[in-house]
Amino acid sequence: MTINVGDKIPSATLKTMGADGPEEVTTEDLFKGKTVALFAVPGAFTPTCSAKHLPGYVTNAEAIKAKGVDTIVCLSVNDAFVMGAWGKDQNAGGKVEMLADGNADLTRQLGLDMDASGHGMGVRSKRYSMIVEDGAVKVLNQEPPGAFEISSAEAMMKQL
Amino acid sequence: MTIKVGDKLPAATLRTIVDGAVTEVTTEDLFKGKTVALFAVPAAYTRTCSTKHLPGYVVNADALKAKGVDTIVCMAVNDAFVMDAWGRDRNVGATVMMLGDGNADLTRALGLDKDSTANGMGIRSQRFSMVVEDGILKSLDIDPPGQFGATSAEAMLDRL
Repeated sequence: MTINVGDKIPSATLKTMGADGPEEVTTEDLFKGKTVALFAVPGAFTPTCSAKHLPGYVTNAEAIKAKGVDTIVCLSVNDAFVMGAWGKDQNAGGKVEMLADGNADLTRQLGLDMDASGHGMGVRSKRYSMIVEDGAVKVLNQEPPGAFEISSAEAMMKQL
Repeated sequence: MTIKVGDKLPAATLRTIVDGAVTEVTTEDLFKGKTVALFAVPAAYTRTCSTKHLPGYVVNADALKAKGVDTIVCMAVNDAFVMDAWGRDRNVGATVMMLGDGNADLTRALGLDKDSTANGMGIRSQRFSMVVEDGILKSLDIDPPGQFGATSAEAMLDRL
């Protein structure tokens, strides 16, 4: 079952790369009392994600925040080390929080996981974006496999 | 069951990036008629792996090849995109082949997987090194969790 607009985001613990190594981030801490623009990608360092998806949110970070977003999150079923390295590579620092769902715990609970074993990538996340207000899903944009359009930063700006 | 010296390496398909495209590498193609020095790390971009393990094999690549090694392989349960990005970050060039075992297919078949779910990293590889001659395991070194020594390039040079 995929999460629906109006539903509360399930509890899960994600990780981010801190100065001294991976740190835990609970969904409660992440979403409580905030407006969060979250987008999820199938894999760090992949062509679409690196060339378009993440850069779009980095470039438009200020404009998105000017529309009332407190936090912009990039989520992927990669570990915190990879997400940290990818964020550094793409100059996401201070603009987009790079969060790792390495066990796919949150992704599976959202019903937005996909089997990428055929590509040697195990279980991954579908490409989507969502706006979450105080822990409740306000908007969900799920891309069909291989597509990149409705989950872009530009598309999200029109929904805010 | 962990693989033993004298055993044939199990069949599996790994992946690497060649000219920007994901390319399959079967264990048959990788090992047939060659002497391969393979080392596996728990994850790309982590500290020990990035500061010691991989750099040691890059620096000693010529010395290893002078001792009869045809191919040096760095393997992890990461996807090919991450392995390629990490290799570029560490200036691996043509010295070490960066192979992704993203589904952990080969790692599991070798009996060298470990559960890193508690660290938000799913199923990963133990830290090990092996010398494989024409598909047959000639030596196997495993570092206990959190340690790095027996699987280093320097240790492998002493073995060859």
